[in-house]
Amino acid sequence: MNDLIKELYQEIILDHGQDPRNFGECNPYNKSADGHNPLCGDNLKLTFFVNHDDIIEDIKFTGEGCAISLASASLMTEKLKGLKISVAEEIFKDFSNLVSGSADDLNVLNEEDSLYALKGVGGFPMRVKCATMAWHAFKEALKN
Amino acid sequence: MMDIKKIRNDFPILNKKILNEKNLVYLDTAASAQKPQVVTDEINSFYLNHYANVSRGVHTLSVESTFKYEDARKKVQKFINAASEREVIFTKSATESINLIANSFAARHINEGDEIILSIMEHHSNIIPWFLIRDKYKCKILFANIDSDGNINEEHFKSLITEKTKLVSLTHLSNVFGTTINQSIIDLCNNAGIPILLDGCQSAAHIPIDVKALGCDFYVFSGHKLYAPTGIGVLYGKENIIDELPPYQGGGGMIADVSTDGATFTDLPAKFEAGTPPLVQAYGLGIAIDYINELGMSKISNYELELTNYALDKMQDFDFIDIHGENGVKHSIISFNLESIHSHEVSSYLDVEGIAIRAGHHCCQPLMKHMKLNSTARASFGIYNTREEVDIFINALKNCRDFFKK
Repeated sequence: MNDLIKELYQEIILDHGQDPRNFGECNPYNKSADGHNPLCGDNLKLTFFVNHDDIIEDIKFTGEGCAISLASASLMTEKLKGLKISVAEEIFKDFSNLVSGSADDLNVLNEEDSLYALKGVGGFPMRVKCATMAWHAFKEALKN
Repeated sequence: MMDIKKIRNDFPILNKKILNEKNLVYLDTAASAQKPQVVTDEINSFYLNHYANVSRGVHTLSVESTFKYEDARKKVQKFINAASEREVIFTKSATESINLIANSFAARHINEGDEIILSIMEHHSNIIPWFLIRDKYKCKILFANIDSDGNINEEHFKSLITEKTKLVSLTHLSNVFGTTINQSIIDLCNNAGIPILLDGCQSAAHIPIDVKALGCDFYVFSGHKLYAPTGIGVLYGKENIIDELPPYQGGGGMIADVSTDGATFTDLPAKFEAGTPPLVQAYGLGIAIDYINELGMSKISNYELELTNYALDKMQDFDFIDIHGENGVKHSIISFNLESIHSHEVSSYLDVEGIAIRAGHHCCQPLMKHMKLNSTARASFGIYNTREEVDIFINALKNCRDFFKK
């Protein structure tokens, strides 16, 4: 077994890939966007509800994709629920660095975070889009 | 007999170690073929010893370049058995070839309400150009269904042909199933007097091509899938049809005379080759064709068919491998899924074992939607692949399945 594969597919990734959390649609929601990876056809729909204090009260997704994209979306929703938008945006910056091989450039994320399990994606440049699809949908939804 | 060991020595990249330890097993020739050293050496030599623009100057280098460029055209003509060099147009890609014929043919022959027939298993490059034509001319695009073997359903295809049908454009060899078009489909078009385009991107590299015997009116392919460089494509068109079509692009090299009032256009094939052509790439394509001819296209085809069947036999032993269009005759291409494991996982797992396969929708999203699949994995073979490589591939599939299904 190759170490790169072990690092990419950690137990938590396989778990969330097979059994994604927060799978569904928020009711009600006031933000939504579609994520799409034209490379493979994977797609998701992200919905969330932001309250008057700019806090993400609820966040869910539906869609189909590989283990990396589903696990990433699942872990993202777990992480972002209850956070302020501005904090979520900081995390997005760190996460982008983490999965593109720049794990040294982190400000708010650390090894204790479940999101850190996606660090292995850095060894597979063609899979970065799988890991960031949900996050790009999140950013897109904030623009709408 | 093919001397595969000798052939493999012609492709230096096959010695590459993936992640510094695994031998490369390249099973993605359907996406693009690797290049024999004779092709890259000759391209270098062209630039270093003979290069100038073609069909323009009268100096020695221009003459040498022009000769080499036109010589490549002759090689292509013979390779596909076209009646004349005037029927061979160089483009930058098969995609450009289809866009060219779509635009020039439509300008002369397509009107509102007319119909163009494709199949559900076409590559996006044989769908989107026609969508653009549809939007411009308000014609209709109809899609022929396929059967479970990965062949066009002949009854359905027949039912789509009407007096409104102006053109049929189909894949010659499916990049998903590896199946080839039935001659009866082409005959149907010929008998109905409807021009038919064959997308030969996959077929040109795997089976002998004779456009006259096939009876197609247009045939397109790219160099890079045929062991030649990127940036070169071919459009074959029957002379009596393309001779009366308007140019696709305007520019240098395609005019007879230009004044401030307008221009007259030059003869075939230059009429369709505006601008400085990819002349070195065309030369490289000619060298690749020489290389293939030396091995013999029939021998290549037989060897690859045998190798594909060897792989299919082994894959069919495992019930966790779903082969798409399982019962069709497959030329060098096998699409499959490992139960519910996403093709990305399969490809990444195989990658670290040194094995390159394709994962995704293969630029065939309508087909994926038809098959109700998100994506598939695809292994494809070329002249350099061996049974030992197939064994490595099968073994990796078993391990991959165990890893994700534990």
